[in-house]
Amino acid sequence: MVKTIISIVVVSLILTAGIIFENNFTQNEFEEFHQTLEVLYEKVNDKTAVEDDAYAVQNCWLNKKKYLHSFIPHTEIKEFDLWIAESVKLIRDKKWEDALSKVEVLLELAEQVPKTFKLSLENIL
Amino acid sequence: MVVIFIRTFIIFITLVILIRLMGKRQIGEMQPFELIVTLIIADLACIPMADVSIPLIYGIVSILALFLLHQIFTLIEKSGDLAKKVLSGKPSIVINTFGVDMVELRSNNLGVDDLIESMRALGYFHLDQVDYAIFESNGKLSALPKKEPLECSSLPLLVINEGKIINRNLEFLKAEESKILEFTQQKCSIKDVEVLTVDGTGKAYFKQKQKKYEILQFPLNEGVKW
Repeated sequence: MVKTIISIVVVSLILTAGIIFENNFTQNEFEEFHQTLEVLYEKVNDKTAVEDDAYAVQNCWLNKKKYLHSFIPHTEIKEFDLWIAESVKLIRDKKWEDALSKVEVLLELAEQVPKTFKLSLENIL
Repeated sequence: MVVIFIRTFIIFITLVILIRLMGKRQIGEMQPFELIVTLIIADLACIPMADVSIPLIYGIVSILALFLLHQIFTLIEKSGDLAKKVLSGKPSIVINTFGVDMVELRSNNLGVDDLIESMRALGYFHLDQVDYAIFESNGKLSALPKKEPLECSSLPLLVINEGKIINRNLEFLKAEESKILEFTQQKCSIKDVEVLTVDGTGKAYFKQKQKKYEILQFPLNEGVKW
């Protein structure tokens, strides 16, 4: 009986700690990435973005995805990789209209992906 | 993680309810919730292993959640008789001194053929060889044999199961349906016969509704023996 209660307490603590950490970590990481993308969006909108701005966003993502791999399905990570790569190319070629739409998609993804980890009925069902 | 935990919880509870409703037929030696843990845990371990696009933590969290649920259910089960009855069910006495108890059998989604099969596994081929037979909550059959063991030399066949004649067994008996009807009508209408088994010597186990079983002699045709 005591052993059972101890195991329930220990596993509950591990799971609670894990849930809190995962929630905070993914929210923070995506919030930071979203802010970086917003800066790039402004620059692309003003047509002042340069190749290095796009690479900075890509590097920021590469650093974050190392750890996000543990919590997010790898297919979603790949989606970010592809959209960022396309944005970099379009900014380098100064195709502002196309680049803007790609960055918009990235902004939307950075907003929506962390929502899939939140406690809501639509995520559970 | 919290979403995975809740999803695992919902699946677990649903399966516990379903397995409990299915009765003892679906269980083999384990308690219902233990069976469910065993069923799910194998898949949960396999999916993140086989699909590299799923983070390993998804599998680990689900398995931990199942372990937690198992421990909680174990604790609840130990807390009292009512909790144990709700979670694991209670043993069912399917044969008593009056014979086969059809009500208990039906409440566990079992039939006389299932009972005969389980008894054969225990080494009892005749229903009257035991005073009591109990389907334990883990699905296993336990039996208390009669004080004086009966000598049995022939395999009994189920001829009537809950008022219905088993035609395929009539071929062994080499008897027509009319002969069975004639035999049962000496006692009651065929609808009231719960069980009738006949062995190769003609020994018949006859049980009618709400009456104690009787051992009768069935008039086998000449030369019929198995």
